[in-house]
Amino acid sequence: MATTRTYRPAVPAGRDGFGRLLLAEWTKLRSVRRWVLGLLAAAVLTIVISLLAAAGSGTDANQEPNFVVGPDGQPVVDDFHFVHQPLSGDGSVTARVLTQEHSHQWAGAGVMLKEIATSGSPYVAIMVTPRHGVRLRSNFTTDLPGSTDTVPRWLRLTRSGTSVTGYESADGVAWRKVGTVDLHGLPQSVEIGLFVSSPPEVVIERQAGSTSVGGHPTSGTATFDHVQVAAARPQQPATWADEDVGRSPARGEATETGGTFTVTGSGEIAPNPPPDDVVQTSLFGAFVGLMAIVAVGVLFITSEYKRGMIRTTFAASPRRGRVLAAKAIVIGVATFAVGMVASVTAFLLAQPILRENGFAPPAFPRPSLSEGPVLRAVVGTAALLAVIAVFSLGAGALLRRSAGAISAVIALLLLPVIVAGVLPTSAARWLMRVTPAGGFAIQRAKEPTEALVEPWSLIGPWTGFGVLCAYAAVTLALAFWLLRRRDA
Amino acid sequence: MRRALRAEWTKLRTVSSTAWLLLAAVAFTVAVGTLATASVDTSQCPTPTTCFEDTTKLSLTGVWLGQIAVVVLAVLAVTNEYGTGMIQTTLAATPQRGMVFVTKATVVTATVLAAATVGVLGSLLAARSILPGNGFTPANGYPPLSLADEPTLRAAIGTVLYLGLVALLSLGVGTAIRDTAGAITTVLTLLYVFPVIAAFVTDPQWHERLQKLAPMTAGLAIQATKGLDQLPIRPWAGLGVLAAYAGAAMLLGAALFKLRDA
Repeated sequence: MATTRTYRPAVPAGRDGFGRLLLAEWTKLRSVRRWVLGLLAAAVLTIVISLLAAAGSGTDANQEPNFVVGPDGQPVVDDFHFVHQPLSGDGSVTARVLTQEHSHQWAGAGVMLKEIATSGSPYVAIMVTPRHGVRLRSNFTTDLPGSTDTVPRWLRLTRSGTSVTGYESADGVAWRKVGTVDLHGLPQSVEIGLFVSSPPEVVIERQAGSTSVGGHPTSGTATFDHVQVAAARPQQPATWADEDVGRSPARGEATETGGTFTVTGSGEIAPNPPPDDVVQTSLFGAFVGLMAIVAVGVLFITSEYKRGMIRTTFAASPRRGRVLAAKAIVIGVATFAVGMVASVTAFLLAQPILRENGFAPPAFPRPSLSEGPVLRAVVGTAALLAVIAVFSLGAGALLRRSAGAISAVIALLLLPVIVAGVLPTSAARWLMRVTPAGGFAIQRAKEPTEALVEPWSLIGPWTGFGVLCAYAAVTLALAFWLLRRRDA
Repeated sequence: MRRALRAEWTKLRTVSSTAWLLLAAVAFTVAVGTLATASVDTSQCPTPTTCFEDTTKLSLTGVWLGQIAVVVLAVLAVTNEYGTGMIQTTLAATPQRGMVFVTKATVVTATVLAAATVGVLGSLLAARSILPGNGFTPANGYPPLSLADEPTLRAAIGTVLYLGLVALLSLGVGTAIRDTAGAITTVLTLLYVFPVIAAFVTDPQWHERLQKLAPMTAGLAIQATKGLDQLPIRPWAGLGVLAAYAGAAMLLGAALFKLRDA
C-alpha cells in the first residue's frame, strides 16, 4: 500500500505582516536604478550647490565703519546722548524723568552707568520708555522689566563693587528695586549720568529679487530734574560733560537751567546681529536637490500605475492603505537618510568657505552642530527633504500621473518663493504661511527677520515646517481615501 | 511634409490631455496675472506717481505659472510616444526622422503660440479693466494698457515668443531624455531653481551673472517696460538667452533622435 505524504513546500508560507510590506517596498525602491541614482543625485546636488552658494556669497559686515562689538564680542549698536561725570568707587545716581517725547515706542530716557563713554563698552541703564514701561538694561542682552508706568518717574542706579542695582519710584521716597546685574570686571572709575536714546524708524522695501532696508533716524527730548550723584567716598566735585555716543546721524544736545536738564538724543542701544544666516546659506543646495527627490517620490507610485505593477502589488497586499503607508515610510526614511548625509556634509564643507568670504566672527559667530538652532536647521533640512518626498508620493497617488504630480508639487514648492519676492512684506508673509514653500524656514538658524530677501525668513521655522507637514498629511490622507475608492 | 504635419496634429489633438493643458496654460496665465494685478495698488506708495510700477509686466505675471502647462504639454508630446511605444509606429510611417522631429516641433510650437496669444491678450485685457480702479489712472501717469504702446506691444509679443521657446526647450529635453518624469523635472529645474538661486546669492557680481544666465529671468526681461536701464539684461538679449537654451536643447534632441534606436 502506498503511503500518501502531504506535500510540504520547502519555502515557508509568506506572511503578510507590515514588516514584509516594508521590505517589499524597500526592494522596489533600491532595485530601480533610476530611483537610486535620483536619490544620489539629490545628495550630490545638495552638497555641490551649497558649496557654490557659499562661494558666491560675500559680506563686509566685519569691515563696516559702523560695526561695534559689545562686551561679549557680539555685534551691537550703541548710539545715544550721554550727560555724564566720572564716579570713582561705589556710589549712585538719581534723577526724576519729568517729560519724555514719544519719538519711538522704544525711546529711552533715564540714568546710566557705563565703563567709558564709548560705543560698545559695558553699561547698566534704567530708563522709562513711552510704550514699554520702566526697563533695566545691561550689556545689550539683559532686559529686566520694571513697572509699566511712564513719566514722571524717579530712577536710581546704585553701584556696590561690580554689582549695580536699579530702582524706580513714583515720588522719590518709596523706592522699588527693579533688579541687580553684575558687571564682571568693572573698573574702579566709571562714567555715570543721564542718557536719552531714540531708535531709528526702519522701513523695509521688497522688490523683485532684492530687499532694501531704509529708514530715518528719530530723535527724542526728555527733561530731568532732582539729578544727584552720590559717591560713597568723598571725591572732587565733578562737572557734567555731554556728548553723542556712537554714530547716529542725528545730533543730540543737552542744556541745564536751574537744575533741570533738557537732553535730546538719537540712536539705539541693542544687539545688532547681521540678518544673514550662514547656516541656511550652507544648506542652500537642498533647493536643487529637492527636484530629484520630488521626481523619485512621485515615480515611486506613478510608475506602478504606468506599468500595471500596482495590480500585482494590491493582489499581494489587498489592504491598500497599508501599501501606501509602507511606501510613505520607506521613501520618507530613505530620503531622510540621504538628506542627513547631504546636509551634514554640505554644512561642514561650506562653513570654512563662508568664513573665508567674510562670514566670520565677531559679526558671524562660528555655528556649531551642538547649538540647538543649528542642529535644528541641519536635521531639519533632511526632514524637509523627507516630508517633500512623502508629499510627492501623496500627490503621485492622488493624480496617478507623473507629469501632473511632479509639476504640481514643484509649482507649489517653488512658485510661492518666486512670487513672494515681488510682493509687499505682509503679503509675502501670508503666502509663506499658507503654502508648503514656507517649509524652507526650517533651514534657518536665526530669528525671523524682514531684512532678508528669502521670503521664508519672515516666518518661524516650526510654523513653516508645520504647514509643509500639513500639506503632506492632507495629500496623503486624500490619496488614502481615493485609493480605497478607485479601481487600481 | 504636409502628411507628416497632419499626422502630428492628429496625434496632438486627439489626446485629451492636450486640450486640458492648453486650457490650463491660458487659465493659469490669466488668473495669476489678474490676481497679481488686483493685489497691487498705489496706496502702497508715498504718492501714486512715485510707484514706478511696471503695470505691463505685472499683468503678465501669470506666465510664471502658465508655462508649467506648456512644459508638460511639450514634454508629453514626445515622451508619451516613447512611453506607449507609439514612436515605432510613427517612425515606421515616416522613416525620415528629421522630418518627424521638425513637424512635431512645428505643430507643438504653433499650438502653444496660439494658446499663449490668448493668455497674454486675456491678461492684458483683465489688467486694463482692473488697473484704473487701483489708482493706476492716466492722471497718475499710467495711461491704459494698449498694444499701440510700443514697449507694451514688445512685452506682449515677447511673452508669446517666450512660451513658444519654453515649448521648444521642453521638446528638445523631452526628446533627449525620453522619460516624462525626468524631462519635466529637468526643464522645471532649469526654469525655477536657477532664478531662486540667483535671487539669494548675495555677491552682486554672481547675482547679476546668474540672472543673465537663468533662462527664465533672462527670458522674462522681455516683459519689462520701465526701468530698462536697471535690468540685468536687455529685453531682446534676454529672450536670446532663452532661445540659446531652446536651440541647444533642440540640437541635442535632434542629434540623439537621429542617432539612437527608437
